[in-house]
Amino acid sequence: MRIRIAAVVMLVGVLLAPQAPSRAATASDTLVYVNDISDMISLDPAVAYEFSGVLVAQNLYDTLVAFEGEDLTTLKPRLAQSWRIRDGGDVWQIVFQLRPGVKFSTGRPVTAKAVAFSFDRVIALNKSPAFLFKDIGGMKEGDTIAVGSDTVVVSLPKTSSPQAFLSVLTFTVGAIVDPDEAMAHQSGSDRGEAWLRNHSAGTGPYMLDRWDPESRAVLVANPNYWGPKPRLSRVIIQHVPESSTQKFMLESGDADIAADLTPEQVLDLASKPGVMSQDGKLLQLVYVGMNVKQPPLDNVKVREAVRWSIDYDGIIRSLLRGGARKVQTIVPEGLFGFNSSAPFQQDISKAKALLAEAGVGGGFTVEMLVPTGPAPGGPKWADIAAKIQSDLAKAGIKVEIKETVQAQLLGVYRAQKGQMVMILWGPDFPDPDGNATPFSDYAAHSIAWRNQYNDTAAATLAKQAALEPDLTKRRTLYKQLTDKVLHEGPYIVLYQPTKRFGLRQNVQGFVWNPMAYAEFRTVSK
Amino acid sequence: MGLVLLGVSVLTFFIAHVVPADPVLAALGEHAREDQIRSYRHAYGLDRPVGVQYLIYVHRLLAGDFGISIRTRRPVAEDLGEFLPATVELGGTAWLVALLLGIPAGILSAIYKDRIFDHLARIGSLIGASMPVFWLGLLLLGSFYYRLRWLPGPGRLDISAIPPPPRTGLLLIDSALAGDGVVFWSALRHLVLPGLTLGLFSTAVIARMTRSAMLEVLYQDYIRTARAKGLAGARVVLRHALRNAMIPTLTIVGISFGNLLSGAVLTETVFAWPGLGRYATTSAISLDFPAVMGVTIVAAVIYTTINLVIDLLYARLDPRVRYE
Amino acid sequence: MSKLAPPRRRRWPYRLRLLRRNPLVTLGAVIVLLYSLAALAAPLLAPHPPLTQYLEERLEPPSAQFPLGLDQLGRDIFSRLLFGARLSLMIGLVVVVIAGVLGTVVGMAAGFAGGRVDHALMRVTDIFFAFPSLILAMAIAAALGPSLTNAMIAIAMVTWPVYARLSRAQTLVLVRREFLEAARAVGAGDLRILTRHVLPNALSPLVVQASFNMGDAILIAAGLSFIGFGAHPPTPEWGVMVSEGRDYITTQWWVPTFPGLAILMAVTGFNLLGDGIRDMLDPRLRRAG
Repeated sequence: MRIRIAAVVMLVGVLLAPQAPSRAATASDTLVYVNDISDMISLDPAVAYEFSGVLVAQNLYDTLVAFEGEDLTTLKPRLAQSWRIRDGGDVWQIVFQLRPGVKFSTGRPVTAKAVAFSFDRVIALNKSPAFLFKDIGGMKEGDTIAVGSDTVVVSLPKTSSPQAFLSVLTFTVGAIVDPDEAMAHQSGSDRGEAWLRNHSAGTGPYMLDRWDPESRAVLVANPNYWGPKPRLSRVIIQHVPESSTQKFMLESGDADIAADLTPEQVLDLASKPGVMSQDGKLLQLVYVGMNVKQPPLDNVKVREAVRWSIDYDGIIRSLLRGGARKVQTIVPEGLFGFNSSAPFQQDISKAKALLAEAGVGGGFTVEMLVPTGPAPGGPKWADIAAKIQSDLAKAGIKVEIKETVQAQLLGVYRAQKGQMVMILWGPDFPDPDGNATPFSDYAAHSIAWRNQYNDTAAATLAKQAALEPDLTKRRTLYKQLTDKVLHEGPYIVLYQPTKRFGLRQNVQGFVWNPMAYAEFRTVSK
Repeated sequence: MGLVLLGVSVLTFFIAHVVPADPVLAALGEHAREDQIRSYRHAYGLDRPVGVQYLIYVHRLLAGDFGISIRTRRPVAEDLGEFLPATVELGGTAWLVALLLGIPAGILSAIYKDRIFDHLARIGSLIGASMPVFWLGLLLLGSFYYRLRWLPGPGRLDISAIPPPPRTGLLLIDSALAGDGVVFWSALRHLVLPGLTLGLFSTAVIARMTRSAMLEVLYQDYIRTARAKGLAGARVVLRHALRNAMIPTLTIVGISFGNLLSGAVLTETVFAWPGLGRYATTSAISLDFPAVMGVTIVAAVIYTTINLVIDLLYARLDPRVRYE
Repeated sequence: MSKLAPPRRRRWPYRLRLLRRNPLVTLGAVIVLLYSLAALAAPLLAPHPPLTQYLEERLEPPSAQFPLGLDQLGRDIFSRLLFGARLSLMIGLVVVVIAGVLGTVVGMAAGFAGGRVDHALMRVTDIFFAFPSLILAMAIAAALGPSLTNAMIAIAMVTWPVYARLSRAQTLVLVRREFLEAARAVGAGDLRILTRHVLPNALSPLVVQASFNMGDAILIAAGLSFIGFGAHPPTPEWGVMVSEGRDYITTQWWVPTFPGLAILMAVTGFNLLGDGIRDMLDPRLRRAG
C-alpha cells in the first residue's frame, strides 16, 4: 500500500513538474496561427466557403488573377499573366494567357485544360461557392474552353458583368486544381471531392501536410512553387476556440498569431512584452434588419426613430473598444462606391418625436433575433443586443432579445418571419454589387426579400449600377442608391468591424486581405 | 436489449423529425439559392414521407450507415470514427480517476466512520456531486494552466507534438506503439485536467455508494462475528466485507458511465477536446440531425452495453442473482 | 375507517430531532431556505436592476457598491445572481412537477395494471434510461429550438423515468397489502384506491427523489445553457453567466466564478436536503447514510 502511494505521489509530482524551457518560442521555421477552425469542413476549393476553409485553401491554390494586400480595386496577374475582355456578339469573352512554366505541387505542368477542368468541376459539384460561377457569372459547364495549352477563353452571357466575374475569380472558387491528381483519386463521380477535402493538388506556396478536424491543419512549403519561396517552411493553423486561451498562448510564445481576440484582450496586449497587435480590414457590415411588413416597422418614421435611438458611438467605443468604423450605408469602406454618409447618432427626443408622429408615441414591443457567439470585432452578439435593448428602451421601445443559433436564425430570417434580426453581411466578391443587389433588390431573394423591402426604384438603381461601365456614372448611381436605402430601407447598419490580431513582436510581413483571408507566404520571423 | 435499441432508434428519429427549424437552410447558410436548397432536400431524402424516411433510416442503420452529415458533408459513421477515440481516451481516464479515488475513499470513509477522514470525504463527495462540470473545468484551467502554468491547456497535444500515424486513435496507445515518448508525455499531461474535471462527479457518486455499501455490510452479523472471533480489522474488511460491498457499487459504476458521457459534452467544450461531445454540440447547433442521431445512438449503445456487462458481473459476484 | 388506515407513520417531532442531530442536513435546509428567500425577494434585495448597464464601469472588480463586481456589460453580478436564483428555482420546480407527475402516473399505472401494460410501460422507461441524460436533453432541446422553456421540457423528458420506476416499485408493494384489499372489499374504485391509498403511501421516496431532481434539474439546465441550448442572454441565468464570462477567466476572474459558485451552492443544498429527508423518512437507510 505504502509503495503504491509513493508511486502515485511521484507520478503526480512528475506530471506537475514545471516544464523545461519549452515556453520559449515556436520553432523558427514554423508559423503557429491560432484560430477557431470549427467551421472548417473541406479544403477543396470547389467546396470551401467557410472562413477557415478559405483561409487555408487560399494558401494551397492559386487563382488566375488576384487582389494583393488590402487593395481590392487593382487586379494583379497570378496564374494568368494577362487577360482581356472581348465582345463576342451575344456573349462576353474573357481571354486569359497563362503564365508559362508553372507546375503543380505534384510536378505536373499547369495547362489550359486544367483551368477548364477546375471551372467545370465547380459547376458540376454545385457546392456552396458554385453560385458565384452560375449566378454571378451566368456560367454553365463547358463555357470555359482551352485554346492550345496556354490560352483559356471563358464565355459569359451579356447579362453578367465581366468585371464582377473577374473579382469572383480572385476567390478560392477560381482556384486551379491538378486534374490528373483529382481524377486519380475520384470515387464515384465526385471528381476527387472526397480526397481533396483533406489533401491538396494546387500551385500555391504551400501544400497540405495534414488536417485533423477540430485540431489543426498543417501546411508545408511547396517545393515546386513558381513564385518567391515562402519565408517559413511550415504553417500550423491550430484550433483554439477560446479567445482567452489564444491570448495566453500568444503571450507565452506558444503561438505566433492569434486571430480571435476580444477587444479587451487586444488592449491588454499593449502592456505585455514581446507581443503587439495589428489591425486588418474587413468588408463585413453588422446590421439589424427590420421586417417592413411587421407593424409598426412598416412605418418609415418608426424605422427612422429606431435608427435615431441607437448609441452607435457607444457601441464602437465601449463594446468594440474602437475596433470598428462607423458606417451606416449598405456599401462598406474598401469597395468602390462607398458612401461615408453617417447621419445617425443617438437622439432620443428626435426618436420620440418621430414615434409620436407615427402614432406609436407610447412605444411598442418588438422581438429581435440575435446569433450566438462572438460578433465580428470581438464582443458577443448578445452583448451588442443588450446594449441596443437598453438604448431603444429609452425611446419607449421594448426589445425582446431572442438569441438563436445561426442555423435557426437563418431559417426564420429567410422565411420572412423575423421582426428585427441582427446579423452580419460580407460581400461574396469584392464589388459593390455584392452588397447593393442583396440589400436592395427584392427579386434577388436575398436580404431585401427577407425584410420584405420591395422598392422597384431601388432595385432598378442596383441593376443599372451593376452593369454601368462608366466609373463616374457608376459612382453616382451607387451614391443615389445608398442614400435612398439609408433612410427608406429596412436596415440599421451598426458598424464595419476591424479584424484585430495579436502577434509576436518578431512576426513580420503578415498581410490580411479584407475578403477575410491571409497569405502566409510573405510572413517571416 | 434489442427491443431497447429499436426504441432508441425510434426515439432519436422522432426527435430529429419534429424539428421546427429547417436543417437544410442550416446546412447551406446565408447565401444559398433556392435550387440548391431543393436539390439538397432531395439528395438527403427530406422530401419523402416520414414513415419512408424512418424505414430507410433503420435499413441503413443496420448496415452501419448513419447517413451523411449535413454540416461536414461526410458519412456520419466516418465522423464518429474520427472523434470517438478522443472521447474514449478522456472517458477512460475519468473513469479510472473515479474508480481509483472513489472506491478507496468510500472504503476508508466507512472504516473510519465519523472520524475526520470520513467527514472530509463526505463533504468532498457532496460537493463533487453538486459541481457544475463546465465551471470546474474553467476554474482548473484558470488556476493550473493560466496562473500556475503547471499543466498544459486545451487540446489533446502540444502544438509542437506531431501525432503518430493513427492505429487505435488513442494517442497514448499509438504513441507507445510508435515508441514516441514525447507525444506520449504530451498526451498524458493534456489528459490530467480534463480527466479530473470529468471524473470528479463519478468519483463522488462512487465514493458515496461504496461507503454506504461498506457500512451496510460491516454492520451485518457475520462481520461482527468475524470481528468477535478476533480477526484483525483490515483482514475482515478485505476478506469479507469488500466483496459484498462491491455489488451495489458495481451498479453505480455502470450508471456513472452515463454521467461520464453526459459530462463529456461539457468537458470537451471547455477543453476544446476533439471528441464526440464537441461533435454532438457543434452538430446540434447547426441542426445537423443525422450527426446528432448518430452520436445519440452510439452513446446509447455504449451505455447499454456497459450496463449489460455490469449486470453479468453482478451475477458472478452475487450468487443470489442468476441469469439464464 | 381507521381500520383501513395504513400503518401509522412516525411523528414529526421525532423527525425534527433527527434533523437536529445531522448538521449537514440542517445546512442543506438553511441553504435551500436562503436560496428560496433570495429568489422570492430578489427585486427587494438586489441593489441594482439585473439588466441595467453601467457601461463605463464594465468589468470593475467587487466593491462596496457592486459586491460581486460588474460583468462585461457593466451589470451588477450580485443582482443578476439574485434574479438568476428565481430562474433556477422556477426551472427546478417546473421540471419536478412535470417529471414527477408524468413519472408517477406512468409508474403507478404500470404497477397497478400489471401484465402487458406494465411490461410495455417499463420498456418505454428502459428506452429513456438507455441515453446519457445530457445528450438526450441536448438532442431534444436542439430539435425543439433552444430556449429556456424547451430546456425545461427536455430535462423533464430525461428525468421522469426515475419517478416511474420508483412509484411502480412502491405500488407493487402496496397493492399486495391488506388495507388495499380491505378498501377494495368496501367497494372503492381503482382511481380512488390509487389516489387515496397508494399515492400517499408511495410518496416518501418520491419526495426524496424530487429534492435530488431539483438539484439535477438546476445542474442540467445550467449545462444546457452553457453550451447554448437553454436560456439566452441577457437573461441572468447562471449557466449563461458562466458561459458569457469565460473569456474573462484570466483577466476578470469574478465574472465567471460567482455564478458557478451559486450553482454549486444551490445544488449542494438540494442534495443535502434530499439526503436528510431520506434519512428521516426511511430510518433503515439512516444507518448506512
